[in-house]
Amino acid sequence: MITILNTEKVNLLVAHEITNGDSDLSALDAYFMHEVANMPRGRGVLACIQCGRCTSSCLVARVVEEHNPRKLMETIILGLRSDVLRGQLPWHCLSCFTCLDRCPQGGDVGEAMFAIRNLAVREGNIPNGIVVQAQSLFETGRVVTPSRMALVNRKKYGLGKEPTVDVEAVKKILRKTSFDKLIYRGS
Amino acid sequence: MKYAFFLGCLIPAREPNYEHSVRKIASELGIELVEMEGANCCAPFSIQSVDYASWLALAARNLCIAEEMGLDILTLCNDCYESLLMTNTILKEDKETRDKVNEVLADVGLEFKGKTNVKIFSDALYEDIGLEKVKNAIKEPFNGLRVAVQPGCHLTKPKRIHFEEIVAAAALDELVEATGAESIAYERKEACCGGPLRGINDEVALHVAKQKLDGVKTAGADCIVTVCPFCYNELDMGQLEIKRHFKQEYDLPVLHFAELLRMAMGMKLEDWEVKAHRIPITKILNIKETK
Repeated sequence: MITILNTEKVNLLVAHEITNGDSDLSALDAYFMHEVANMPRGRGVLACIQCGRCTSSCLVARVVEEHNPRKLMETIILGLRSDVLRGQLPWHCLSCFTCLDRCPQGGDVGEAMFAIRNLAVREGNIPNGIVVQAQSLFETGRVVTPSRMALVNRKKYGLGKEPTVDVEAVKKILRKTSFDKLIYRGS
Repeated sequence: MKYAFFLGCLIPAREPNYEHSVRKIASELGIELVEMEGANCCAPFSIQSVDYASWLALAARNLCIAEEMGLDILTLCNDCYESLLMTNTILKEDKETRDKVNEVLADVGLEFKGKTNVKIFSDALYEDIGLEKVKNAIKEPFNGLRVAVQPGCHLTKPKRIHFEEIVAAAALDELVEATGAESIAYERKEACCGGPLRGINDEVALHVAKQKLDGVKTAGADCIVTVCPFCYNELDMGQLEIKRHFKQEYDLPVLHFAELLRMAMGMKLEDWEVKAHRIPITKILNIKETK
């Protein structure tokens, strides 16, 4: 005599456990894993076998108790959409690609982080530091711009002429890809 | 050799000393650096995190400029390297994505054709110029200097877009040792400096940098040598912040690899370049003077 478990119920139980009961489990979204997988760079989430090699390779996991790439993959697989996309964890990733090189599944956790962050941005979850860089890029063609002093010094130091940037071309590209709509929301 | 010279954002804004040393070395070794007119930011990690299509189009625009110049790109920054190399790899391999990107680029009169290669300074020296030629240019070797090389993440990772990780890291070690210095082993040599989180989560960035510095200090290095301007900034200025934050002092001078090589080639750093370092490098200069 065996008892067949109800998959949905199991997912609920696991989700309940990994969120310490804090999440709204009625909002579990079974499609979320595929939503991530269908984003560019997101396919790795389908290959994850929850082995934890990414977490044991992760520098940030040694520093920040809550940062755990394996667990992040688990929360995606379980469908805790808003926990993932509204949380801070995807923004703690250094993109050092250590996990990517070490994943035994070729699962590209570090790549999937970009897919997750792209989705998070669309939910309005974007750290101020990123907004500053992105707006600078849109307005000047660079994420960091040289100060007037730096430009004066270039001449003094005998460096080449001031690097030029075609800001209009950058704006044209970024308007076409709707980048501006993502980074000027609410401002 | 002649390259399309991709300076990126950070170096002209904050680290002109890095650029200066590269230009000095280039003219000594007969490398011609041609400016890329109108080039934009490479679209690093922070921009890739916002939107995939925008990243590819911006990076591809730079690749197209180099294609029109008929030259390979030379970058000085691991982040520029990662962004441009990865985009070049994706667009060369994946026609569907290439077509989409070209549709965007058509608006600015460009088309990605896949005719350029992306190189970073150390790889270009090793592969195109050759270790022998670099060795022959050394006039004042740093004999006995114990160097902790910081290759930085995107010099070698992810593996699939680079030639073997081990080979790329070893190439840098060989170049450093060509200057007479010893590239020492230390814990977490392959690890990130923390720099990518600068401005996004400074506290985490600092803790990661500290792990790196602990490894370097324990191994008894005289200095750190970087190839990436972000690693340089994180480990040089980072030491001042760590001193404030953790009350811990490392006093580890940080040199750009280009500065180390330039000095070994017998060209002194200028006063403003010495002063550009937040952790004084006089210790290193003195080792050299007393030889």
